[in-house]
Amino acid sequence: MNLEDFENRVLPAKHKLYRFAFRMLGSREEAKDVVQDVMIKVWHGRDLAEVQNMEAWCMRITKNLLLDRLRSRQRKGTYSIEGSDEFHQEELTPHEKTEQNESMKRIDQLMATLPDKQRQVMHLRDVEGHSYHEIGEILELDMNQVKVNLFRARNTVREKLIKLNAYGL
Amino acid sequence: MDSERIETLLEKYWNAETSLDEENELHLFFQAHPASEKWNEAAALFRYLSNEKNKTIPDPFFDQAVTKQIGQRHKGKTIRMRNGFQIMRIAAGILVMVAAVYLIGMEVRKTSPQERADTETDPQLAFEETKKALLMISRNFNKAQQEVGKINLLNEAEQKIRNRPATPEQEIKD
Repeated sequence: MNLEDFENRVLPAKHKLYRFAFRMLGSREEAKDVVQDVMIKVWHGRDLAEVQNMEAWCMRITKNLLLDRLRSRQRKGTYSIEGSDEFHQEELTPHEKTEQNESMKRIDQLMATLPDKQRQVMHLRDVEGHSYHEIGEILELDMNQVKVNLFRARNTVREKLIKLNAYGL
Repeated sequence: MDSERIETLLEKYWNAETSLDEENELHLFFQAHPASEKWNEAAALFRYLSNEKNKTIPDPFFDQAVTKQIGQRHKGKTIRMRNGFQIMRIAAGILVMVAAVYLIGMEVRKTSPQERADTETDPQLAFEETKKALLMISRNFNKAQQEVGKINLLNEAEQKIRNRPATPEQEIKD
């Protein structure tokens, strides 16, 4: 792979990879480091000409690096969730903005409580808009496992949102 | 879009039965109606998901940093060459050590040829030498036996003391 190829096919996936890494790690700096590692790994990878879906390939490498990080975190017993970025909507009043930000933070925390696999599947489907087939390819799961994990994730989120709503979302 | 359609789509969404197009429909609806009272939970979730979609890597110089790193890795090959030199240096060190040991060994062998020559060529001398050596061993063996005999004497004495019956004085004391 030459530099031009790399800049056209790999670098544009950085934001997607970052969002996925941030979803799983909850730390901006660590997520950025992972994306950087993925880029270097892809650059040194061989037979990339055979890779048809470069984005899905990068996502798969990201998933593997994330698993390593999460495992090492489990061993060390460290976990931190940084707050989500500020919610920007120009037409809202300051009061409404604060409320929206609070709501975002609560959903963020709620998403963080989902098991890893469910969180990954829901993120890839609802944030990145991947097909079941692509999700299966990225996470190395069969179609059925993808659907089951998505069903469970959405249902847990729905139940928790109803509970949160009772206290004012 | 009528509310019945949204209701149906949402039900399908929670059951993970929607297609990507249907999910897009929901995203568009909740973008247009971000504070929908009727579907409060869904509105909050879709608002959150839309916000997530817009997140970008928080480093405007990310591309430059990556391409720079890639460039450095390219130069990494020279580092590998340096590692090669390191290995060669170690190998040279080991070679010098082996040569030194071999040469010293040769020197030692040269300076003590009589040991190597030994008495093998003269049977009479060899016999004498062997006799001398065996006599020395036997002498030392006898000496050792005498010492052991002394220890045996001590042991016997100790046994006798132990086996002697206690005197009346000792019995009173006990």
